[in-house]
Amino acid sequence: MKMSVKLFGTLRERFPDYRHQQGIEVEVPDGATTKDLLSFLKISESSGAVVAIEGRILKRDDKMQHGAQVYVFQAIHGG
Amino acid sequence: MKIIRVNMNKKTIHSEDVPRDYAGLGGRGLTSIIVNAEVPPKCDPLGPDNKLIIAPGLLSGTPLVNTSRISIGAKSPLTGTIKESNAGGTVAAALGSLGITAIIIEGQAPKGELNFLRIDEKGNTSLVSAKEYKGMRTYQFVEKILEKYGKKTSVLCIGPAGESRLTAASIQSSDIDGRPARAAGRGGLGAVMGAKGLKAVVIDQRGKNADPIADPEAFKEATKGIVKAIKENPMSGHVMPSLGTAGLVAPVNAMGAFPCYNSRKGVFEGWEKISGEAMTELIKKRGGNPSHMGCSQCIVHCSNVFVDKDGKYVTSGLEYETIWATGGMCGIDDLDTIARLDNLCDDIGVDTMSTGVAIAVAMDAGYKKFGDKAAAIEMVEEIGKGTKFGKILGNGPAAVGKHFNHKRVPVVKGQSVAAYDPRAMLGNGVTFATSPMGADHTAGNVVGDYLEQKLNPLKEEGQVEASRNLQIGIAFADCTGMCFMAFVALTTPEGGGALLKAINARFGTKLAPEDVPALGIRVLKAERDFNRKAGFTNKDDRLPRFYYEEPLPPHNTVFTISDEKIDSTFDF
Repeated sequence: MKMSVKLFGTLRERFPDYRHQQGIEVEVPDGATTKDLLSFLKISESSGAVVAIEGRILKRDDKMQHGAQVYVFQAIHGG
Repeated sequence: MKIIRVNMNKKTIHSEDVPRDYAGLGGRGLTSIIVNAEVPPKCDPLGPDNKLIIAPGLLSGTPLVNTSRISIGAKSPLTGTIKESNAGGTVAAALGSLGITAIIIEGQAPKGELNFLRIDEKGNTSLVSAKEYKGMRTYQFVEKILEKYGKKTSVLCIGPAGESRLTAASIQSSDIDGRPARAAGRGGLGAVMGAKGLKAVVIDQRGKNADPIADPEAFKEATKGIVKAIKENPMSGHVMPSLGTAGLVAPVNAMGAFPCYNSRKGVFEGWEKISGEAMTELIKKRGGNPSHMGCSQCIVHCSNVFVDKDGKYVTSGLEYETIWATGGMCGIDDLDTIARLDNLCDDIGVDTMSTGVAIAVAMDAGYKKFGDKAAAIEMVEEIGKGTKFGKILGNGPAAVGKHFNHKRVPVVKGQSVAAYDPRAMLGNGVTFATSPMGADHTAGNVVGDYLEQKLNPLKEEGQVEASRNLQIGIAFADCTGMCFMAFVALTTPEGGGALLKAINARFGTKLAPEDVPALGIRVLKAERDFNRKAGFTNKDDRLPRFYYEEPLPPHNTVFTISDEKIDSTFDF
């Protein structure tokens, strides 16, 4: 399944050709989880990455959806 | 270890040893326990019986990194409750280097009289006439003070808003570059300082009389552990130096919890224009500094220097809460306007959050249209000019709501909420409702638990417990002088162990891990005790009605935590 990923925080620095308007088009196997997506993007657990779709933060074993607009952030505890 | 007592009507200054009842306390713990012990709870916050307490943290003035928070406490004229508001900058380290545990400002100068408190590098204190600085805005004032006393000078000061005793007035704190860009903004403590007849506290940074460290070797070891933890943590080591707290604009909008248009929506359509990512890009393009050191001994660099299109300084330390209050809440999606509003608030000496929300309430009431940038700037200018409307605005959102007879006012105990809507982040609603300070995100912000998927922000389970635990932890953190950015990195067993080791090495104590929540609970109990004596009950621990009745898009949820559950927050 395919989805569009937009990166935030310092994550976009890892992708030199990243263009925020377009985001990254990603194709992962059907049934892939949040963890699989992060692994595909080579974003490690230690980066504090957070995946959100449609206003909700996903858990690591939540399944991704075809055609979704995915946001990937880093956890921040307050301002 | 000494306390300096300044009496503003007698013009006397006394230095005393720290009394036994206040021993082992610093920062918020010290300000709150002194206020509870010495301030009559029902007193007029702007009268002679209130006291203004200024206290560096337990670790301020030591060589340890990120220990530059200065706590300021009093009875608040905005909320009527006890108040502690803390700020970064250079003041805490300067006071710590002089071995000063706290300054207590008492009494009230005769009407029309204005002084500042000067502390030189040997710790000598004097009250100096500030007549020539009357009505002066903070940037000009600090510039003049630094011309007079040299650049190695730290300043806490008020602007015209504080002198006029407006209840959203801040106390501004000078940063590494000698700019009054940091603020103890909440609770109107600037008005208390103004009512005392005190324009500023001016401290020489070159003091060499810090209290000795009991075990210097152990302290050095602990420091290494703390630095390692801060550098390795993704938030304090990576996100904060790149984006600062503005990095929250994206995730909070993506969670549908960013209150905008005076809390009518949870996603601001223009958020990508005012995000931390957009701000950093703009600052870099213009030659400003997106990773600025604002506070003494800081290794995080969450601050920034925002410049205009010609590269000229506009403001420093543009933060998430300010971007929200003067941006999203007012329907403004332009960083240049937001930065200008931040600078104006710092210069006039008003809280950016209370002021931004006050503008939003005025716009919601139909006074001006949401998104009207020029009107927002003009409204803040009116506070500086002291016009009739400016005085209403400078007294915060509740005063503006009363003026327009407008009911949608997002405040608890008179103080505005912060940039996390309680309908989409239930635990933050619990903190806003129950904090002894009135609505205050710094008292126990649950956003990190949501982002780390420890808790679902829209489900009731675990919200009260999360708020309670955070409020206890933060009450402890606020005693140390350590900033929140660094403290977050020390919540691991190794980091926490290093922090405890540093405190024990500093004082020669043997505090164990269980003493951490015990101190937090002691502080919260003192604060609740003061509020109870001042006349507050559980019925005051409630959010405004519209949070229970008006669904917030996009989740279209309301605040659902029952009063009974709210009242169990401080069951300890």
